[in-house]
Amino acid sequence: MRLLYSFIETAVENTDAVILAAAALASGLAMIGGLGPGVGQGLAAGQGAHSVGRNNKKRGEITMVMLLGSAVAETSGIFSLVVALILLYANPLLGREGASLVLFGSVIGSGLSMIAGIGPGIGQGYAAGKGTEATGRRPGEQSSIMRVMLLGQAVGQTTGIYALIISLILLFAAPLL
Amino acid sequence: MNELVPRVIFVIPGIEIKVTETVVITWVIMAVLTVFAMISTRNLKKKPGKIQNAAELIVEYTEWLVDNTMGSGFKGFAPYIGTLSLYLLLANTAGVFPGLRSPSSDLNTPAALALISFLVIHYYGFYEKGTIGYVRSFFAPVPLLFPMNLIGELAFPVSLGFRLFGNMVGALVILELIYSAAPALAPVIPHIYFDLFAGLIQAFIFAMLTMTYLSLAVD
Repeated sequence: MRLLYSFIETAVENTDAVILAAAALASGLAMIGGLGPGVGQGLAAGQGAHSVGRNNKKRGEITMVMLLGSAVAETSGIFSLVVALILLYANPLLGREGASLVLFGSVIGSGLSMIAGIGPGIGQGYAAGKGTEATGRRPGEQSSIMRVMLLGQAVGQTTGIYALIISLILLFAAPLL
Repeated sequence: MNELVPRVIFVIPGIEIKVTETVVITWVIMAVLTVFAMISTRNLKKKPGKIQNAAELIVEYTEWLVDNTMGSGFKGFAPYIGTLSLYLLLANTAGVFPGLRSPSSDLNTPAALALISFLVIHYYGFYEKGTIGYVRSFFAPVPLLFPMNLIGELAFPVSLGFRLFGNMVGALVILELIYSAAPALAPVIPHIYFDLFAGLIQAFIFAMLTMTYLSLAVD
């Protein structure tokens, strides 16, 4: 109880400490988004190994589709990293006046929002895996396969971009303060 | 950590414009590319010398890539794609040289390039489809999807720019941490991986996605 009391006291007196504590938590939370690209790229790599095992002659084409697909699947993890770095090194809320509870919530929320990256990461990785598999079967169709794969992955990124926009709004526009 | 913001090299007196590292390194890259283009295309011969051979290889590969990715009838975009790729190849890998900072790790560079690609794509779509066809494409397949189409179009430059920026700035921070934690261990392998490999892949992806979207702009 004493601890809680002193915690609240610090929070009321020193808003910057609140923001720094929240930023530490939120940058960690944001990186949970890395789960998605991890799983997704694993799926793509598995399909790559499988396809090369079947069709070793077309290793170059298969590897190219796998690498491109995986690199796109990494986007959500990169978004998480950008938000975490902003929180740690360029926190725009530091020095802002306002209710410390709202500041705390804004910072935590910006990190939490980036967890949404799990979805696009896994989904894009799945698409990369399918593209890799299809290239292994029909290497002649590589460019059409890649076009459809990249288009689908770009559409699949949309929710991750929504999350990034909300995260950046919470940090830079801070509509709740 | 001050590494996230590029250093200011000098300030233009009078109008107080800060010229950062990003701009100066971009000038150097522009100079390198211009000089290479001038030297390699001066007195062209039927039997090409070494430099002319290199230039021909670059042009042929770009045309092959554009043809292969976008289908025939898009050869006119080869100069744009080639310029974009050459600039990105040099910009993304500039961090290999000690003391240089990749211009791509400053958000302004990827944002500007993504904006250029976005404008090229929409100008081409507008040009090919005409006003009515262009406007109608936002209401396809059903008018109800207009907000989704609009957000999808606007999300393209955002994801294109942030993907490049995030990768390059991530590499910058990681290398900085390696330098501060273990400067004695020559970080050669991290440099090769983060600057060369990641930089080349990101340059390629940027060009590939631009080409893919360009070819879809007329569908």
